[in-house]
Amino acid sequence: MPLSKQQISTLISLVVNSTPDSLSCDDCLVNVAEFAETELMGTSLCESMLKVKQHLNNCPCCNDEYQSLLEALRSLNN
Amino acid sequence: MYSTESQSMSSNPYQWVEKLKSESHREEAVGKLRVILMGGLKGAFFRRGQNDAFCEDVCQESLIRVMKNIDSFEGRSKFTTWAISIAIRVGISELRRRHHKDVSLDAITSGNDMKIELAITEDDVSGNAIDQRAILETLSNLIENQLTEKQRTVVRALLGGMPVEEIARRTNSNRNAVYKLFHDAKQRLKSGFENSNFSLSDIESVFA
Ligand SMILES: [Zn+2]
Repeated sequence: MPLSKQQISTLISLVVNSTPDSLSCDDCLVNVAEFAETELMGTSLCESMLKVKQHLNNCPCCNDEYQSLLEALRSLNN
Repeated sequence: MYSTESQSMSSNPYQWVEKLKSESHREEAVGKLRVILMGGLKGAFFRRGQNDAFCEDVCQESLIRVMKNIDSFEGRSKFTTWAISIAIRVGISELRRRHHKDVSLDAITSGNDMKIELAITEDDVSGNAIDQRAILETLSNLIENQLTEKQRTVVRALLGGMPVEEIARRTNSNRNAVYKLFHDAKQRLKSGFENSNFSLSDIESVFA
Protein backbone atom coordinates (compact mmCIF):
# COMPACT_ATOMS: atom_id res chain seq x y z
CA MET A 1 0.00 0.00 0.00
CA PRO A 2 1.54 3.34 -0.98
CA LEU A 3 2.06 6.07 1.59
CA SER A 4 -0.88 8.43 1.84
CA LYS A 5 -0.50 12.13 1.21
CA GLN A 6 -0.77 12.73 4.97
CA GLN A 7 1.94 10.16 5.72
CA ILE A 8 4.28 11.71 3.16
CA SER A 9 3.72 15.11 4.72
CA THR A 10 4.38 13.69 8.21
CA LEU A 11 7.54 11.93 7.05
CA ILE A 12 8.89 15.05 5.38
CA SER A 13 8.22 17.11 8.48
CA LEU A 14 9.90 14.50 10.73
CA VAL A 15 12.92 14.32 8.41
CA VAL A 16 13.35 18.06 7.93
CA ASN A 17 13.04 18.73 11.67
CA SER A 18 15.25 15.83 12.73
CA THR A 19 18.26 16.90 14.82
CA PRO A 20 21.16 14.91 16.29
CA ASP A 21 20.04 12.94 19.35
CA SER A 22 22.40 11.22 21.76
CA LEU A 23 19.73 9.76 24.07
CA SER A 24 17.75 6.54 23.93
CA CYS A 25 14.14 6.33 25.09
CA ASP A 26 15.30 4.78 28.38
CA ASP A 27 17.85 7.60 28.90
CA CYS A 28 14.98 10.00 28.33
CA LEU A 29 12.84 8.32 31.00
CA VAL A 30 15.71 8.54 33.52
CA ASN A 31 15.91 12.31 33.00
CA VAL A 32 12.37 13.35 32.14
CA ALA A 33 11.22 14.05 35.72
CA GLU A 34 14.00 16.60 36.21
CA PHE A 35 13.30 18.03 32.76
CA ALA A 36 9.57 18.44 33.51
CA GLU A 37 10.28 20.23 36.80
CA THR A 38 12.79 22.53 35.08
CA GLU A 39 10.31 23.37 32.32
CA LEU A 40 7.44 23.96 34.74
CA MET A 41 9.60 26.32 36.81
CA GLY A 42 10.72 28.10 33.64
CA THR A 43 14.40 27.88 34.57
CA SER A 44 17.04 27.60 31.88
CA LEU A 45 18.14 24.19 30.68
CA CYS A 46 21.60 22.81 31.42
CA GLU A 47 23.39 20.68 28.81
CA SER A 48 21.97 17.37 29.99
CA MET A 49 18.44 18.81 29.97
CA LEU A 50 18.98 20.15 26.43
CA LYS A 51 19.69 16.57 25.39
CA VAL A 52 16.31 15.54 26.83
CA LYS A 53 14.67 18.34 24.89
CA GLN A 54 16.34 17.14 21.69
CA HIS A 55 15.14 13.59 22.27
CA LEU A 56 11.58 14.80 22.91
CA ASN A 57 11.72 16.80 19.66
CA ASN A 58 12.85 13.71 17.76
CA CYS A 59 10.86 10.93 19.45
CA PRO A 60 7.06 11.13 19.05
CA CYS A 61 6.51 8.32 21.60
CA CYS A 62 8.54 9.91 24.42
CA ASN A 63 7.00 13.27 23.58
CA ASP A 64 3.51 11.81 23.93
CA GLU A 65 4.47 10.45 27.37
CA TYR A 66 5.99 13.79 28.34
CA GLN A 67 2.76 15.65 27.52
CA SER A 68 0.87 13.26 29.80
CA LEU A 69 3.47 13.70 32.53
CA LEU A 70 2.91 17.46 32.38
CA GLU A 71 -0.86 16.91 32.62
CA ALA A 72 -0.36 14.67 35.65
CA LEU A 73 1.91 17.19 37.40
CA ARG A 74 -0.39 20.11 36.63
CA SER A 75 -3.39 18.24 37.99
CA LEU A 76 -1.49 17.53 41.22
CA ASN A 77 -0.46 21.15 41.59
CA ASN A 78 -4.04 22.42 41.21
CA MET B 1 -3.39 16.85 46.53
CA TYR B 2 0.09 16.85 48.11
CA SER B 3 -0.21 16.67 51.93
CA THR B 4 2.01 18.88 54.08
CA GLU B 5 4.04 15.86 55.11
CA SER B 6 4.38 14.72 51.51
CA GLN B 7 5.55 18.23 50.61
CA SER B 8 8.18 18.18 53.34
CA MET B 9 9.28 14.78 52.04
CA SER B 10 9.63 16.35 48.61
CA SER B 11 12.15 18.89 49.93
CA ASN B 12 14.36 15.93 50.77
CA PRO B 13 13.57 13.38 48.07
CA TYR B 14 15.58 10.67 49.79
CA GLN B 15 13.12 10.67 52.70
CA TRP B 16 10.73 8.85 50.40
CA VAL B 17 13.42 6.30 49.59
CA GLU B 18 14.25 5.81 53.26
CA LYS B 19 10.63 5.36 54.27
CA LEU B 20 9.79 3.08 51.36
CA LYS B 21 12.78 0.92 52.27
CA SER B 22 12.11 0.92 56.01
CA GLU B 23 10.04 -2.00 57.27
CA SER B 24 8.28 0.12 59.86
CA HIS B 25 7.37 3.00 57.53
CA ARG B 26 6.91 1.22 54.22
CA GLU B 27 3.19 0.56 54.41
CA GLU B 28 2.35 4.14 55.29
CA ALA B 29 4.72 5.54 52.63
CA VAL B 30 3.31 3.22 49.96
CA GLY B 31 -0.19 4.40 50.91
CA LYS B 32 0.82 8.04 50.50
CA LEU B 33 2.60 7.39 47.24
CA ARG B 34 -0.44 5.50 45.95
CA VAL B 35 -2.66 8.55 46.60
CA ILE B 36 -0.25 10.85 44.77
CA LEU B 37 0.18 8.48 41.82
CA MET B 38 -3.58 8.04 41.52
CA GLY B 39 -4.05 11.83 41.45
CA GLY B 40 -1.49 12.18 38.67
CA LEU B 41 -2.77 9.20 36.70
CA LYS B 42 -6.35 10.47 36.81
CA GLY B 43 -5.15 13.89 35.63
CA ALA B 44 -3.36 12.31 32.69
CA PHE B 45 -5.61 9.41 31.73
CA PHE B 46 -9.18 10.59 32.30
CA ARG B 47 -8.70 12.92 29.36
CA ARG B 48 -7.59 9.90 27.33
CA GLY B 49 -10.95 8.28 28.05
CA GLN B 50 -9.77 5.98 30.85
CA ASN B 51 -11.50 5.33 34.18
CA ASP B 52 -10.66 4.68 37.85
CA ALA B 53 -10.16 0.96 37.29
CA PHE B 54 -7.57 1.59 34.58
CA CYS B 55 -5.72 4.09 36.81
CA GLU B 56 -5.80 1.66 39.75
CA ASP B 57 -4.29 -1.15 37.65
CA VAL B 58 -1.59 1.17 36.34
CA CYS B 59 -0.95 2.49 39.85
CA GLN B 60 -0.50 -1.02 41.23
CA GLU B 61 1.95 -1.99 38.47
CA SER B 62 3.77 1.34 38.86
CA LEU B 63 4.25 0.88 42.60
CA ILE B 64 5.90 -2.47 41.90
CA ARG B 65 8.08 -0.86 39.22
CA VAL B 66 9.04 2.05 41.51
CA MET B 67 10.02 -0.29 44.36
CA LYS B 68 12.04 -2.46 41.97
CA ASN B 69 13.95 0.55 40.60
CA ILE B 70 14.14 2.60 43.78
CA ASP B 71 17.94 2.41 43.94
CA SER B 72 18.21 4.03 40.52
CA PHE B 73 16.51 7.21 41.82
CA GLU B 74 19.24 9.87 41.72
CA GLY B 75 17.48 12.67 43.61
CA ARG B 76 17.59 15.10 40.68
CA SER B 77 13.83 15.71 40.91
CA LYS B 78 11.17 15.28 43.55
CA PHE B 79 10.74 11.61 44.28
CA THR B 80 7.05 11.85 43.41
CA THR B 81 7.77 13.43 40.00
CA TRP B 82 10.15 10.56 39.27
CA ALA B 83 7.56 8.00 40.36
CA ILE B 84 4.85 9.66 38.26
CA SER B 85 7.11 9.65 35.19
CA ILE B 86 7.41 5.88 35.59
CA ALA B 87 3.65 5.50 36.10
CA ILE B 88 2.89 7.52 32.96
CA ARG B 89 5.10 5.25 30.87
CA VAL B 90 3.44 2.16 32.40
CA GLY B 91 -0.01 3.59 31.59
CA ILE B 92 0.74 4.71 28.06
CA SER B 93 2.51 1.44 27.27
CA GLU B 94 -0.60 -0.41 28.40
CA LEU B 95 -2.84 1.79 26.23
CA ARG B 96 -0.56 1.22 23.24
CA ARG B 97 -0.54 -2.52 23.86
CA ARG B 98 -4.34 -2.64 24.01
CA HIS B 99 -4.80 -0.41 20.99
CA HIS B 100 -2.48 -2.44 18.78
CA LYS B 101 -3.33 -5.84 20.27
CA ASP B 102 -4.76 -7.27 17.07
CA VAL B 103 -2.60 -5.39 14.59
CA SER B 104 0.22 -7.27 12.93
CA LEU B 105 3.35 -5.55 11.66
CA ASP B 106 2.66 -7.01 8.20
CA ALA B 107 -0.73 -5.33 8.10
CA ILE B 108 0.93 -1.97 8.53
CA THR B 109 4.02 -2.48 6.42
CA SER B 110 1.79 -4.03 3.74
CA GLY B 111 3.38 -7.41 3.66
CA ASN B 112 5.04 -7.76 0.31
CA ASP B 113 8.64 -6.57 0.17
CA MET B 114 8.61 -3.79 2.79
CA LYS B 115 9.23 -1.32 0.01
CA ILE B 116 7.83 2.17 0.53
CA GLU B 117 5.91 3.04 -2.55
CA LEU B 118 5.06 6.69 -3.02
CA ALA B 119 1.72 7.42 -4.56
CA ILE B 120 2.16 10.34 -6.91
CA THR B 121 -1.19 11.16 -8.42
CA GLU B 122 -2.31 14.21 -10.34
CA ASP B 123 -4.33 15.27 -7.28
CA ASP B 124 -1.18 15.36 -5.17
CA VAL B 125 0.75 17.61 -7.48
CA SER B 126 -1.41 20.68 -7.60
CA GLY B 127 0.14 24.07 -6.79
CA ASN B 128 3.90 23.63 -6.80
CA ALA B 129 3.41 20.66 -9.08
CA ILE B 130 6.91 20.35 -10.48
CA ASP B 131 8.65 20.80 -7.13
CA GLN B 132 6.34 18.34 -5.39
CA ARG B 133 6.88 15.69 -7.99
CA ALA B 134 10.66 16.18 -8.00
CA ILE B 135 10.84 16.14 -4.19
CA LEU B 136 8.73 12.99 -4.00
CA GLU B 137 10.96 11.30 -6.54
CA THR B 138 14.04 12.30 -4.53
CA LEU B 139 12.42 11.00 -1.33
CA SER B 140 11.48 7.76 -3.04
CA ASN B 141 15.05 7.27 -4.29
CA LEU B 142 16.50 8.08 -0.86
CA ILE B 143 14.17 5.61 0.84
CA GLU B 144 15.10 2.97 -1.67
CA ASN B 145 18.85 3.55 -1.72
CA GLN B 146 19.84 5.09 1.61
CA LEU B 147 17.79 3.06 4.10
CA THR B 148 18.28 -0.50 5.23
CA GLU B 149 15.35 -2.89 5.07
CA LYS B 150 14.96 -2.73 8.85
CA GLN B 151 14.89 1.06 8.74
CA ARG B 152 12.25 1.01 6.00
CA THR B 153 10.10 -1.36 8.04
CA VAL B 154 10.33 0.82 11.14
CA VAL B 155 9.60 4.05 9.25
CA ARG B 156 6.65 2.41 7.50
CA ALA B 157 5.23 1.03 10.76
CA LEU B 158 5.61 4.35 12.59
CA LEU B 159 3.89 6.20 9.77
CA GLY B 160 1.15 3.59 10.03
CA GLY B 161 0.66 4.68 13.63
CA MET B 162 2.44 1.85 15.46
CA PRO B 163 4.52 3.11 18.43
CA VAL B 164 8.18 2.09 18.82
CA GLU B 165 7.60 -0.30 21.70
CA GLU B 166 4.89 -2.17 19.76
CA ILE B 167 7.22 -2.50 16.77
CA ALA B 168 9.88 -3.77 19.18
CA ARG B 169 7.47 -6.36 20.59
CA ARG B 170 6.77 -7.68 17.08
CA THR B 171 10.40 -7.77 15.95
CA ASN B 172 11.93 -9.30 19.10
CA SER B 173 13.78 -6.06 19.65
CA ASN B 174 13.60 -3.31 22.25
CA ARG B 175 12.33 0.26 22.25
CA ASN B 176 15.81 1.82 22.27
CA ALA B 177 16.95 -0.19 19.23
CA VAL B 178 13.78 0.55 17.25
CA TYR B 179 14.03 4.25 18.06
CA LYS B 180 17.66 4.25 16.88
CA LEU B 181 16.66 2.66 13.55
CA PHE B 182 13.99 5.34 13.13
CA HIS B 183 16.26 8.21 14.09
CA ASP B 184 19.16 7.03 11.90
CA ALA B 185 16.71 6.67 9.01
CA LYS B 186 15.50 10.25 9.44
CA GLN B 187 19.07 11.55 9.61
CA ARG B 188 20.02 9.65 6.44
CA LEU B 189 17.01 11.02 4.59
CA LYS B 190 17.76 14.52 5.85
CA SER B 191 21.36 14.35 4.74
CA GLY B 192 20.17 13.01 1.36
CA PHE B 193 17.87 15.99 0.99
CA GLU B 194 20.67 18.36 2.02
CA ASN B 195 22.78 16.96 -0.81
CA SER B 196 19.93 17.38 -3.30
CA ASN B 197 18.90 20.49 -5.22
CA PHE B 198 16.24 21.48 -2.68
CA SER B 199 16.60 23.49 0.50
CA LEU B 200 15.00 21.97 3.62
CA SER B 201 12.77 25.00 4.08
CA ASP B 202 11.53 24.72 0.47
CA ILE B 203 10.82 21.03 0.95
CA GLU B 204 8.83 21.68 4.11
CA SER B 205 6.88 24.58 2.65
CA VAL B 206 5.90 22.62 -0.45
CA PHE B 207 4.35 19.91 1.76
CA ALA B 208 3.01 22.09 4.57
ZN1 LIG C 1 12.04 8.12 22.94
